[in-house]
Amino acid sequence: MPRHRPKASPPAPIDLNPRTDPPLDFPVRALGELTPRDYEILGFMCGLEVHQQLDTRGKLFCRCPAGVRTTRVDAEVLRHMRPTLSELGEYDGTALMEFRTRKEIVYRLDRRTVCTYEIDDTPPFPIDEEAIRAALEIATLYGLDRVSELQVMRKQYLDGSIPTGFQRTAMVALAGVLPFPDSELGPDRVLRIRQLTLEEDSCREVSDVGHRIVFRTDRLGMPLTETVTEPDLLTPRDVAAGGSLLAWVARASGRVRRGPGAARQDVNVSIAGSRRVEIKGVCQHKVLPRLVHIEAYRHLELLRIRAELLRRGVTAEQLVLPQLDPPWASPLAIDARTLVGDRDGPPIQGARERGDMIAAVRLPGFAGILAHRTQPSPHGDLRFDHELAERLRVIACLTARPFMAHTDEASSPVHESTWRELRRALRATADDAVVVVWGPWADVATAVEEIVGRGREALVGVPSETRQAHPDGTTGFERILPGPERMYPDTDTPPWPVPDAWLGEIDASQPERPWERERRYVEELGLGARAARVLVERGLYELFDALAPSTVVGRRRLASALECRLLAWWRESGTRTLPESERLRPLVLAIDEGKLRPEAYDEVFDALLRADDAQAGRVLVEQWCARSPEPSLAAALDRLVAAAAERRFSSPDARMRWALGQAMPTVLGHLAPAVVRERLLAVLA
Amino acid sequence: MSSSDQSSPAHLPDPDDYKGYREPMLGVMKRFGVTVWSEVVARTTRGDFQGLVLPRSETSDAEHMVLKLVSGYNIGIRHDTIESMEAVGYRKAQYKIPEEPFPVDPDKPRVMLLGTGGTIASRLDYRTGAVIPAFSPGELYGSVPELADICNLETEKLFGVFSENMGAHEYQVLARRVGQAIADGYDGVVIGHGTDTMAHTAAALSFMVQDPPVPIVMVGSQRSSDRPSSDAARNLIAATQAAARGPIAEVMVCMFGPTSDRYDLLHRGTRVRKMHSSYRSTFRTLGGIPLAMVQEDGAMEVLEPNVRPRRSDRQARVQVAFEDKVTILYYYPNMQPDVIDALVSCGYEGIVIAGTGLGHVNKKVYPALRRAHEAGVQMYMTLQTLWGFVQMHVYETGREILELGVVPLANMLPEVAYIKLGWALGLHPGDPGKVRELMTTTIAGEMTEGEPFDGYLVLQGAVPEARELIGKVWW
Repeated sequence: MPRHRPKASPPAPIDLNPRTDPPLDFPVRALGELTPRDYEILGFMCGLEVHQQLDTRGKLFCRCPAGVRTTRVDAEVLRHMRPTLSELGEYDGTALMEFRTRKEIVYRLDRRTVCTYEIDDTPPFPIDEEAIRAALEIATLYGLDRVSELQVMRKQYLDGSIPTGFQRTAMVALAGVLPFPDSELGPDRVLRIRQLTLEEDSCREVSDVGHRIVFRTDRLGMPLTETVTEPDLLTPRDVAAGGSLLAWVARASGRVRRGPGAARQDVNVSIAGSRRVEIKGVCQHKVLPRLVHIEAYRHLELLRIRAELLRRGVTAEQLVLPQLDPPWASPLAIDARTLVGDRDGPPIQGARERGDMIAAVRLPGFAGILAHRTQPSPHGDLRFDHELAERLRVIACLTARPFMAHTDEASSPVHESTWRELRRALRATADDAVVVVWGPWADVATAVEEIVGRGREALVGVPSETRQAHPDGTTGFERILPGPERMYPDTDTPPWPVPDAWLGEIDASQPERPWERERRYVEELGLGARAARVLVERGLYELFDALAPSTVVGRRRLASALECRLLAWWRESGTRTLPESERLRPLVLAIDEGKLRPEAYDEVFDALLRADDAQAGRVLVEQWCARSPEPSLAAALDRLVAAAAERRFSSPDARMRWALGQAMPTVLGHLAPAVVRERLLAVLA
Repeated sequence: MSSSDQSSPAHLPDPDDYKGYREPMLGVMKRFGVTVWSEVVARTTRGDFQGLVLPRSETSDAEHMVLKLVSGYNIGIRHDTIESMEAVGYRKAQYKIPEEPFPVDPDKPRVMLLGTGGTIASRLDYRTGAVIPAFSPGELYGSVPELADICNLETEKLFGVFSENMGAHEYQVLARRVGQAIADGYDGVVIGHGTDTMAHTAAALSFMVQDPPVPIVMVGSQRSSDRPSSDAARNLIAATQAAARGPIAEVMVCMFGPTSDRYDLLHRGTRVRKMHSSYRSTFRTLGGIPLAMVQEDGAMEVLEPNVRPRRSDRQARVQVAFEDKVTILYYYPNMQPDVIDALVSCGYEGIVIAGTGLGHVNKKVYPALRRAHEAGVQMYMTLQTLWGFVQMHVYETGREILELGVVPLANMLPEVAYIKLGWALGLHPGDPGKVRELMTTTIAGEMTEGEPFDGYLVLQGAVPEARELIGKVWW
């Protein structure tokens, strides 16, 4: 641990929202209550970084198999990460934070999925050309400019998720535009794509408790593409739509891996007056809107806190700890062990029994701020003290909750009279907040610095962070956002020139892009615009194209059944698997050949989904087609005439509706409703 | 601020303006008035690209130009895709490492760190990927501040060579400088060295600086110090601990024990060998066990009972010499005698044979060995097996080879025997009896009287107990 505190570099200008005027009086509203205009007033800006695993046989830089998911543990390796200084002699902010956490990093190995490359004991093997080919194909689908020569770079990650401490990554293509029409934001809108890189995947985290973080290495080194958009996404709904668009296009290549964790997105959010915050590793598009909506409000609330602190005259100079080791015994922090006593609550008593360090920190001018709401949650709103607690959990590695108490809490384990003594010892006024923190000595020393540091960052407003998503749509602190200086060339791998022949082949065999498919469905196949969109969005187009009905009515019925009946079946059965096309084909053919009328479509479709197999389905459709309608209808008519006589109807129309409803099922798929109606009119008149 | 960007649109011509670029790319750059460190906008058949032109590695092809994009990524642009290029700026970086004064504490031991060329600690140039070595105490304090908790550190850079280029001259300069440091009263000496030939240098120092009163610790890294996962800082801290406070006064190598960040091992300079091309735990003690473990907190546990303890005197026998005409002959089946004849006719004075099994070569080379012996060439037998002792009396073959004048060297490692023979011949030119006496007398543990049962342990095809051990963090 360095005794001198190295400086962290300042945030990159690219991370700042272009607008500097936060709408501080904007009302608090739930997701769904705001219009695109409201988000414009907020200055809401969002961009996506989509990580998509590629469906290759092997990993990117070694010949271990890709796509094997395992929990077997044959061996463990333990490492630490140490930040390296940049050319300016400064530590990257993230690097510095990771070093302060002093984590033991443990890697779990399954011998079937790793070699010595993954554990950083062997230099990289030649890059996997299958992965380069896949990345180029996807880049071409995105309409990006492809580079002539790939240069592998090292992107530093000190959280331990990659044993080398950096990710090997290469720029594949830059600057593309996708059509991105929106009903509210305009039909000619586009989504700009900044870049597509090919990189190795990181480890899966198993646990992160205190000073020990554990990773699995099965996923490590698998090839993936990272696609970065420009911050063109202007509403929460837009963010989900953008994510879906990128996913459909990538899938059109047929080169991407599917399944849990195969596609993950990082979402960058800012509002007017704030700066980019990155929410990491979101696997589902549908959770994105709530997540970014809540994050936008977190920014707004933090900017309100900033404005209030500035109004109170709080300055950054007041929030500086003297360079002492340990950091207590200063005007902002004291050793509180002699000031707490038997009157304090059980958590404090526990700390005393364990022999923990107990420190008290004064935050000048912060009275009431720690109770200021930052994120709404059904489990109780999160407040500014959550921002402090998160830093202590992640950076100071305090684990045994509660590990802190403060003067803005309605009830605290610290007794009222103890607070008075602490205030006196810290020379705190009623305008100040006081935080008490307890735990192992070294961790509390870090905690004191983090509390004061986070207080100082409140004067900036929104710190540059990466955050992790919680199921309720709130987020928690993960890391300080890294700066651009963490990237440098990988001296272990030679440059890789892209062969012209490859680009020619790729350009000559382009799969249909989703919007092209949508247009073809409408213009050539006669589907409605909505039906076409649903087939593409829901990934039902492959099945639709495989069945390829030859009549317009057959296509429309199939599209409708896939949208309504299949999704209903998924909900009911709890599965998400597509039926094989052979199971549905007898129905499609029967409709196209006129052996069955379209009114029977949904009922037969449902029965086919539930049939034991394709063979049973074929028999079922044959039986439907073989039904003879006339005897059934004649019998039905006789029955209906008798039954109708015994009922009362409000009108002749009502009587007809009732009679049609009774008669149709007996002749479904064979007689048109108009024909049945004629026959009913004749007998009921 | 330690580095600065010079921005001037019209800079003076510089020999490095096209560093690494050759035709055809060179011509394209000149045509559009673009040099290294130009900010350019390039219009190409594959789209527009904007970035800073970087020097090109000499070993890369001549077809592409390297651009650093604003995102930090580098890309290559091929010469024949470029339609036009415009230089819109010029940014050249100059590097200097910031220094923080190394704190001095009169109560702490004094350690001399000698540099031979490997990078012990470094800063990174994020644009080119170049590693800028940190070596002065101030620079080292900036990147490995833990050193200040251990000792008062002074440094001296002796050479700037890769470890494969270390040789007789460097051994002698280094040995004299170590001898001087001992005389000057340092409590320990640390020597930074590339790992490839670290064991050779350790052997040379073991013979050239005999019976030192303080630890002489060689250290390096298997993962370069610009990487977050590097073993460099950990090794340097452990080596400095061993030099400043360690109880063993011998020439040693201090490197990772397991591949995990757990502890370092101190290996005797005459028994250590690099055994893996890339593992962190590449160094192993052969024919014995390591001398000691250095834990993460600096605690040291001596493992080998037979070590030379630290002394307070300043006495060390420094004997510096080296004869270049010495070689190692790595025997293989079907070896032809002319190989040996060629060595003799080239004037080689000493041959260390790495023989098979207990110390054997084929009959076909016997006449050549006899001729070499008669020409006065000193010949010694060591083992390709690395583990175990030369035993030339077991088989008739061995006895025959002995009669040809080949002298067995017990369990001396081939490379150690090579270094020792070069040293002994350098010390006593023209006195074969003296050389032979030196070679067969143990000076610094290069031959041992026996082998401990727990040195040669390889857990291949491990039993369940060993598998369980590997399953937990340890290796």
